[in-house]
Amino acid sequence: MRMTKIRMCQTKGVFLTKTFRILVINPGSTSTKVALFENIKELFMSSIMHSEKELQPFSKIADQHEFRVNVIEKSLGENSMDIQTLDCVVGRGGLLHPIPSGTYEVNEKMLQDLGKAEWGEHASNLGGIIAYDIGQEVGIPAFIVDPVVVDEMRPEARISGIPDIERRSIFHALNQKAVARIAAQELGLKYEEANLIVVHMGGGISVGAHEKGKVIDVNNALNGDGPFSPERAGGVPVGQLVELCFSGKYTEDELKKRLVGKGGVVAYLGTNDMRRVEKEFLSGDEKIKLIYSAMAYQVAKEIGVCATVLKGKVHRIVLTGGLAYDNHFVGLIRERVEWIAGISVYPGEEEMKSLAMGALRVLRGEEKAKIYS
Amino acid sequence: MYRILVINPGSTSTKVALYKGDKSVWNETLAYSNEQLAGFEKIIDQLEMRRLDVEKTLHKKKLDVKSLSAVVGRGGPFKPLESGTYKVSEDLLRDIRSGNVQAEHISNIGALLAHEIAEQAGVPAFFVDPVSVDEFEPVARISGIPELERKSLLHALNIKATAHRAAKDLGRSLSDINLIVVHLGGGISICPIRKGRVIDANNANEGGPFSPERSGSLPVSSLAKLCYSGTFSYAEMKKRLVGNGGLIAHLGTNDSIEIERRIEAGDKQARLVYEAMAYQIAKEIGAMATVLKGEVDAILLTGGLAKSDVLIHWIKERVAFLAPVVVYAGENEMEALALGALRVLKGEEEAKTY
Repeated sequence: MRMTKIRMCQTKGVFLTKTFRILVINPGSTSTKVALFENIKELFMSSIMHSEKELQPFSKIADQHEFRVNVIEKSLGENSMDIQTLDCVVGRGGLLHPIPSGTYEVNEKMLQDLGKAEWGEHASNLGGIIAYDIGQEVGIPAFIVDPVVVDEMRPEARISGIPDIERRSIFHALNQKAVARIAAQELGLKYEEANLIVVHMGGGISVGAHEKGKVIDVNNALNGDGPFSPERAGGVPVGQLVELCFSGKYTEDELKKRLVGKGGVVAYLGTNDMRRVEKEFLSGDEKIKLIYSAMAYQVAKEIGVCATVLKGKVHRIVLTGGLAYDNHFVGLIRERVEWIAGISVYPGEEEMKSLAMGALRVLRGEEKAKIYS
Repeated sequence: MYRILVINPGSTSTKVALYKGDKSVWNETLAYSNEQLAGFEKIIDQLEMRRLDVEKTLHKKKLDVKSLSAVVGRGGPFKPLESGTYKVSEDLLRDIRSGNVQAEHISNIGALLAHEIAEQAGVPAFFVDPVSVDEFEPVARISGIPELERKSLLHALNIKATAHRAAKDLGRSLSDINLIVVHLGGGISICPIRKGRVIDANNANEGGPFSPERSGSLPVSSLAKLCYSGTFSYAEMKKRLVGNGGLIAHLGTNDSIEIERRIEAGDKQARLVYEAMAYQIAKEIGAMATVLKGEVDAILLTGGLAKSDVLIHWIKERVAFLAPVVVYAGENEMEALALGALRVLKGEEEAKTY
C-alpha cells in the first residue's frame, strides 16, 4: 500500500493538498537532532547533546551507529511518535562524491560510501544511514537533501594556479539552496530563473554564485579560500603560508587547525563568540573593530567576485546564517556591495526545515528524487 | 626643456635612456651574460661594473652630464612607502647598502646608480613608485592568520604611470577619480586606486589570479597538505608558486602567443586554462570594485598580456558592467620613470622624502 502511494505521488500536483508526515534526522558532531514535520510545519524538534565522553569510545563515525539510533528511538518514544504514521524519513546528507543539487533517495551505493567513509568522516554520514534503517522498517522511502558535496561548478572555476590542486565545490549547500529558493520566490521568480549571490555566514563562510538554479562557483569554506570567518582562516597569502609550513614551528595537524577551527576571528581575538565581539565592537575597542571590519571587508570582496562570475546580472544578494543576525556586521557588508543588487537577510539557518522541504518536494511530485550512483 | 637621464637595472641588462621632456632621445640596453654576472656573490656587488658601463655609454653618446636636469633610477623593494616620486636620500643609500630592504633585487641598485651620476652632474636623483608602494588601509592588511599579514607589493611603476595616463585621457585629475588598474605580465597585479592612493592589491606573489608564471591564490588546506607531503622541498614549493606556477605549470609555456596558437588549433586544455586565468582576473577585479564601494570611473588593463585580444575579450565580458574598460597594452618603464621625474621638475608634484 505504501509503495502505491509513493508511485501516485509522482503525478505532479495531485497531492498538494495532502498532509505528509516527515521524520528528519540530523546527526552533528556534538548533537543529534530529530524533528517531525507535517508538510512544512514542525510538530516537534528535539536536540540531544552528546558529551565528548559519550562519543570518545567510538574511533570511527560508523561505530556511533547504534548509539545514535538509541538516542533517536528514545526521543521518538518521549514524543509518542509512531513511526508507522510516517510518509518518509530524511537524513542530513553526508560526504559523498560530488553530485548535483537535489533530493536523493538513499540507496545501496550511498550506504556503502557513507558506511566506509569513502569520501571522508563526518557525523552527517550517519544521517543517510539511519534514515534508511527507519525507512526500511516502515516500508517508506529515505532521502538526503543537498549535502555539502553538491557540485555544480563550471569547468573554468575548477582550475587553480597549480595543476595538482583542483578548486572543489564544498559548501553549506543545504542552507544556501533553501534560502535561495525562498529569496527567488519572494522576487516572484523560480529559483531556476534567478541569479543570486548567497552568503552563508556561520563558523565558516561560503559565498555562492547561483546562476539559474546552479551554484556555478563558490569559495570552499572548508579547504580555505574566500573570506576568513569566526573559526577559519579563509584564503591567506600563499607564499607566506608555505614559509610557515616549512618553518618547523607546527606539525601538519597544528597548522591545519590554524586554518580551520582556530583560524580567523578566534586567532586574532581569542574568541569565536560573535555576540561578544559585536558588543565589544560597539564599545569601540580598536582591535576588535579592525578584525570585525576586516571580516566584513573580505566577505564583501567575495560578493564582488561572485558578481563578475554572474557577469553583473544579479537579482539579489542574500545573507544568511547565524552571523546575519548581527545588524552591524550586515551593515558593514551592505555599504560595500549594495550597488551590485538589493540585499535580503535571512538570519539563522533552518536545517531541519530545509531537509523536510527537500523531501516534501519529492513527495508532492514537484521534483524527482535523484539517484546516487 | 628638461633633460632627464633614466637608469633601469634589470637582472641581465641595464637600460639607459635620455629624455627631453616627455620624449625619448635615445634608449640603450647594456646586456650582461651569465658568465659576467656569475662572479658576484651579492647583487649589490655589481654596482661598480654597472656604473662604469653606464658612464661608458654616456661618453659614447657624448652626453655632458652637466646638461642634465635630473637622473632617475628604478626603485626596488625598499621599506613600505607611499606612492610617488622620491628624492634619493642619505637614509635610502644607507638602507640599500646595509641590506635594510624587503628583498635582495637588482632594482635596489637603480637608486644608487642614479645617485652617483647625479652627484657628478650636481642635479637631483629620483626614484619613482617602487614595488614596495604601500597605501593599504588597515582592513586590507588582515588575513585569517595573525602572523601572515597581507602585504602591499605591486607593479607600482607601470600601474601608477597608467593611472596618470588614463586620468589625463579622461580629462580628470587622478586625485578626483577611482580606478581599478590591472597589470598583466608574468605576474598579475590588480589594484583599486582611490583618488590616487593604492588602497589594496592582490600581491602577485601571494594571491589573486594565477598568471603566466605564478600560482596566485590556492585552496590553503590543499596547499598545506602538499607542503607536508614530503614530495617537495621548500625551494621547490616556492618555485611552484612563483616562477613555475600558473600557465607554465598547466601548459608548459608562459608564452601567450604560443597558447593562443594552440587554442586556434583546437587545443581544448589550452583554452580552458587560458579562460580560467581570465576568469580569475575578472573575479579579482570584482573584489576590488567592492573595495571602492562600486564607485569606479574606469578599469585599466595594462602590461604585455593586455595585447592578447582573446584574454581581454574574456575579461571584458565579465567586468564591463562595473565601469568602462580601457586597454593600455604594454609597459614602458623608462617612460614611466622619466614622467615621474618630469612631474616633479615641472612642479606638478612635490618630490617625497624617503
